[in-house]
Amino acid sequence: MKSIMSFVVVFLALTLQINAQKQIPNISVKTLDGSSLNMDEITKEKGVKIISFWATWCVPCINELDAISEVYDDWKDETNVELIAIATDDARTKKRIKPLINGKGWEYKILLDENQDLQRSLNITTIPHVIVIKDGKIVFRHTGYFPGAEDQLYDVVKENSK
Amino acid sequence: MKKLLYLSFALAFSVGFSQDKDDEEKKDWGALTGGFESIVQWYNDDTGLGKFAEDEHVRSNNYLKLDYNYGNWFAGIQVESYAPMPLLNYSPKLDDSGIAQYYAMYKTRKLEITAGYFYEQFGSGLILRGWENRPLGINNSFRGGRVKYDPSDALSFTAMYARQRDGFEVSEGEIFGFNSEVDLTNLFKLETSSLSAGFSYVGRKEDIPEEFQNTGFNEMTNAFSARLDYSGNSFYSGIEYITKSKDAVVNTQRYIADFVEPGNGLLINFGYSQKGLGIDATFRRLENMSLFSEREASGNVFNENILNYLPGLTKQHDYLLTNIYVYQAQPTISVPDPSLLKYGEIGGQVDVFYNFKKGTPIGGKYGTKIAVNASYWAGLRGDFNFTDREAEIDYFGFGQKYFSEFSLEVRKKWNRKWQSIFYYVNQYYNERYIVDKLGVVNSNIGVVETTYRINSKRSIRAEVQHLWTPDDNKNWVGGTLEFNVTPRLSFYLNDIYNYGNDDKDEQIHYYNVGGSYARGASRIALNYGRQRGGLVCVGGVCRFVPQSTGVTVNISTAF
Repeated sequence: MKSIMSFVVVFLALTLQINAQKQIPNISVKTLDGSSLNMDEITKEKGVKIISFWATWCVPCINELDAISEVYDDWKDETNVELIAIATDDARTKKRIKPLINGKGWEYKILLDENQDLQRSLNITTIPHVIVIKDGKIVFRHTGYFPGAEDQLYDVVKENSK
Repeated sequence: MKKLLYLSFALAFSVGFSQDKDDEEKKDWGALTGGFESIVQWYNDDTGLGKFAEDEHVRSNNYLKLDYNYGNWFAGIQVESYAPMPLLNYSPKLDDSGIAQYYAMYKTRKLEITAGYFYEQFGSGLILRGWENRPLGINNSFRGGRVKYDPSDALSFTAMYARQRDGFEVSEGEIFGFNSEVDLTNLFKLETSSLSAGFSYVGRKEDIPEEFQNTGFNEMTNAFSARLDYSGNSFYSGIEYITKSKDAVVNTQRYIADFVEPGNGLLINFGYSQKGLGIDATFRRLENMSLFSEREASGNVFNENILNYLPGLTKQHDYLLTNIYVYQAQPTISVPDPSLLKYGEIGGQVDVFYNFKKGTPIGGKYGTKIAVNASYWAGLRGDFNFTDREAEIDYFGFGQKYFSEFSLEVRKKWNRKWQSIFYYVNQYYNERYIVDKLGVVNSNIGVVETTYRINSKRSIRAEVQHLWTPDDNKNWVGGTLEFNVTPRLSFYLNDIYNYGNDDKDEQIHYYNVGGSYARGASRIALNYGRQRGGLVCVGGVCRFVPQSTGVTVNISTAF
């Protein structure tokens, strides 16, 4: 027991000591029509972007994207922010992505991280997970979704788009 | 254990050191990133469920991943520690601590070379998928070498040679893989649509035990996959065909004497979607298509050494009572006795998503969203000759029914404060063929979920569910109450109760209470309660867990 605790303590200490990850790794993901896209094509663009990791089977993820969808037009008008929703669905559920986003009428850019290479490289263990980037650099991360988190997210977006 | 501590100290020190330098001299020393996850469980004796009869009441799974990047160079390790023992029902092969994976990679726009451990997927994974899923205890990564080469935007090639991870070791079989992806959109000068093709090869070479040599199969098993995907403005479609050469049939980790069969699979998908409407249909046929990096791993309960990915193609549910009778794909051929003959599966599913617009009678002020799913799976129809040990299998024959399901989900926002989800599921579950128990289960499940927003930060979510069935363990009722104090801090309480069980002693409450706090990329969750025994499924892959009672602490962070 003692050894486990010290293991945990040391790694937590180690965590605090290191500065947070600033870059999105240049991993290749897929667009919905099946072609490859390197993440640097997104991170090289100026401005504020929200990168949201979700899946068709994840209820809180869908709640979050539904909630943002209702105010997304206002967000875009006020801050020029763009939301990129990265689906981590694998072969079991990925065929649901297209009908689901159309059925819901989401206007996000949708990308597919089918074998979770990008998710793994960002060390994301649970979804939903949102990342805000400004000029390609990570400025904010958050795991999980509860109602109201979208307001907190928008505060971060506004602050960074000044 | 000590070694690990020293290692972590050394790493913490070196990282701190390199970043100090970074700040002072403004030199690029590269970037070190990583993640840490720890799950600690303390199992206690429970008068309701019985004494905890295993060794070690306190157990933990710990994962530390570190990645370093400098220019085109990448390297990393994953340290895993299962101390003093892995959590209940994780593979005993994991009972250790140390560096479980490591890799070095060189990557440019066109070329990528990896040595060490890597994850890979060809196509949809029907032929090959190496992946990690910690809650399921799956890590089917590969150890060896891999080269990826993209000569143009339209072409991509991958070649690999590796052995598959197996606990802290690798499994017996040598794996040869080749994959190509060709984008045909420009070739055919398509303007508003896209067309792509793929071709893959996977070979597995493993020694044959002496008593099964010269019985009609080779130590090298070859599998080929070809696929074509089309995507237009609103219509899309895909087809994949896969074939596997003759190989010994192995059931529950034992060779079946003189039974050698080839395998094949077919997957067809098409869909149509426009704003507010989406339809998707999938058909799949699998005949003797399970593929392991070690023959005798076939049918192992820990999902080890699985080379390909054959998920159950049904809707993935999110509620406790909808996850009791979960279908698992049945790709394996097995003929234990004339009353239980299985050659594979055939079936499909259809999804429809529709949004009733704002301002219409059903849509109301905020719109109403519905999702419908229907699926049907059966065994392949065929005959087995026990004397000649030969199977004759129909191509499009539906045999014994395994599973069917219909589900309807309605999402409705009433006003700024109230929001609800209504969910109904009807299931048919053939226990004899899916989990080797007697009987068939017919069930209906209803769920109502409502969220109330107290203010911009605070909310309450409540869930009521009921499962009706005259079969198996009879009726269940369940509920959840969740209080979200802030978007970061949340507490919950849930219970499912098998009140309909004929055996009074089995009318058990599986209650859980806990909370979580998340900040940045870190999250800590604490839980106390009872785990229902049975299948725990993620992404169509399931793991059996025994019932238990205890405290769970889950810490995860990324840096």
